[in-house]
Amino acid sequence: MATIHLEQVGHSYGSAVYALEKTDILFEDGKTYALLGPSGCGKTTMLNVISGLLYPSDGRVIVGGKDVTRMPTAKRNIAQVFQFPVIYQSKTVYENLAFPLRCRGWDKARIAPRVAEIAELLGLTARLGQSARRLTADEKQLVSLGRGLVRNDVSALLMDEPLTVIDPHMKFDLRRRIKQASDKTRHTVVYVTHDQNEAMTFADEVLVMSAGRVVQRGTPQQLFESPCNRYVGNFIGSPGMNFLSVERDGDRLLWQGFPVFSDERVGRLAPGAELMVGIRPEHVAFAKDGVTGIPAVVQGVQHHGNVDVIDAVIGSERLKVKARSSLAVRDGPLRIVLPVERTRLYVDGTLLF
Amino acid sequence: MPLLSILKYLAILVWSGFVMAPLTWALTTSFKTANGVTSGPTYLPWIGYEPSLAGWRSLFGGAGGIDIVRPYLNSVIVTGSASLISIVLGTLAAYGLSRFSYRTGFVKNADIVFFFISQRIMPPIVLAIPFFLMLQFLDLLDTRLGLVLVYIALLLPIAVWIMVDFFDGVPRQIDEMAMLDGCTPFEAFRRVVLPNSLSGILVAAMFCLIFGWNDFFFAFTLTFTDTQLLPVAIVSLNSSVTPWWSLSASALISVAPLIVIAIVVERLLSRGTLAGAIR
Repeated sequence: MATIHLEQVGHSYGSAVYALEKTDILFEDGKTYALLGPSGCGKTTMLNVISGLLYPSDGRVIVGGKDVTRMPTAKRNIAQVFQFPVIYQSKTVYENLAFPLRCRGWDKARIAPRVAEIAELLGLTARLGQSARRLTADEKQLVSLGRGLVRNDVSALLMDEPLTVIDPHMKFDLRRRIKQASDKTRHTVVYVTHDQNEAMTFADEVLVMSAGRVVQRGTPQQLFESPCNRYVGNFIGSPGMNFLSVERDGDRLLWQGFPVFSDERVGRLAPGAELMVGIRPEHVAFAKDGVTGIPAVVQGVQHHGNVDVIDAVIGSERLKVKARSSLAVRDGPLRIVLPVERTRLYVDGTLLF
Repeated sequence: MPLLSILKYLAILVWSGFVMAPLTWALTTSFKTANGVTSGPTYLPWIGYEPSLAGWRSLFGGAGGIDIVRPYLNSVIVTGSASLISIVLGTLAAYGLSRFSYRTGFVKNADIVFFFISQRIMPPIVLAIPFFLMLQFLDLLDTRLGLVLVYIALLLPIAVWIMVDFFDGVPRQIDEMAMLDGCTPFEAFRRVVLPNSLSGILVAAMFCLIFGWNDFFFAFTLTFTDTQLLPVAIVSLNSSVTPWWSLSASALISVAPLIVIAIVVERLLSRGTLAGAIR
């Protein structure tokens, strides 16, 4: 268990383009982090740099206060689980799970109970004697996971979209088990995913990445409520944040002629900047009296279980609204309210306040 | 029995006959004498022809024959050790070529692999004179050691070629995982990749053994009398009157180990325990 510090670490696979841009990143001891971002944004590269499968072209990797930048993987004592199951075909399930411990020189008396414990946690107890080759894809990934979890003395546990190949109905259960296991051992966990639900439910802190760069890091709540730019706003949430082009009128901001924001800081903004307000579909409300609020026309309602995603048209713009199904919103005119405490101001695409 | 299986078994039966016919022919001929061979196709001993052990005796020091035991042993030793060394070196070389990037000037991994394979592009005759001179210089002409060295040069490219292809098909993640689990790169190879690669090694070994065992040309050009190999010894059976019975017996005895190898390899591969699939 250790703090991981990437000091000005960057990596390029031999071209001028950096797969991972030079950055300082700190992963604190015992916390669970999620790296969230689309494919090819540098998430896996960052994991491989931490585990030593890749030596970064720039910067230093500090694990537990020690510079491990050029230390071979085997010496770093880091566990990693890959996206696709990697199992040792020639070994049984038991031997697969015991292998990391044997490599670290544990004695037999300690290995057996530990393997039994992990097998129990992952529901593999009945499979222990079987050849790993004969398992289903799900079970193989469980074995891979088990090999990652079996050592309780690792500096960090890195997981690279480990649930991609797992059956959807098992995902929820497994996520809980992983969380359970890592809570128990207090590992530093870095979890790569492109599934925001996974990231938001699993992690203490989420790092949103794009094009080799960490765009924003924060608690799931921070990312949801105050995305630092339009990219994060669109990426997090389903559907993403509404971004509405507004015009300045003194201290006020007008959207389609309606005032949506008022703050003395608005008046001090440099002219010519592109101004937008962002509001989550979840935060848009309806005016109950039918007089106040902004007149809109609902053009389509999608039912998602107990919530509806509503497509509202206001003037020349569209707005996504998420509302409880019990409100039974139908196509037609409606008055909406943008709560000012939930509204964020973006100047040239970046969060101002 | 459904029609399809009848047809299937019929096809297998026809093919078996096709495969077994020459072997049966050689087997009956090996027990015949000059009279039996020239009096038309007969297959049943005592009924079609009078069986005789003359053909077999001629292989084991009988009148007008040879002693096949020594050349046979020579062949086993030379082919066996050359194949073993080629497999060991070839597997190691192939793993390196598959996993690490080498660069010397403009020479890269692909060039090195091609360099290995290119050794087998030239017709053997091109190599015969250099090999002869080199062995002469080392005083290894007509010795088993000399032949082993030459055969390694011939078999190593086969082993490297097959194993590079095999290792390229083994995902790197296996090695990476082993290193994460605490193995050094060599341990990752020995403890994880190697046990997973037995099928590839088996196939490469089979090819080495077959090529080595069947070589006549180098065995012929690089030896005289002391270190005859089996193919050369068999050829020396031929005289003005072709001894079909002796040749048949020697054909059977020299093809026997290859049949054994083929059966063993087939058994092991089909048992699935060595199947190469990783995921």
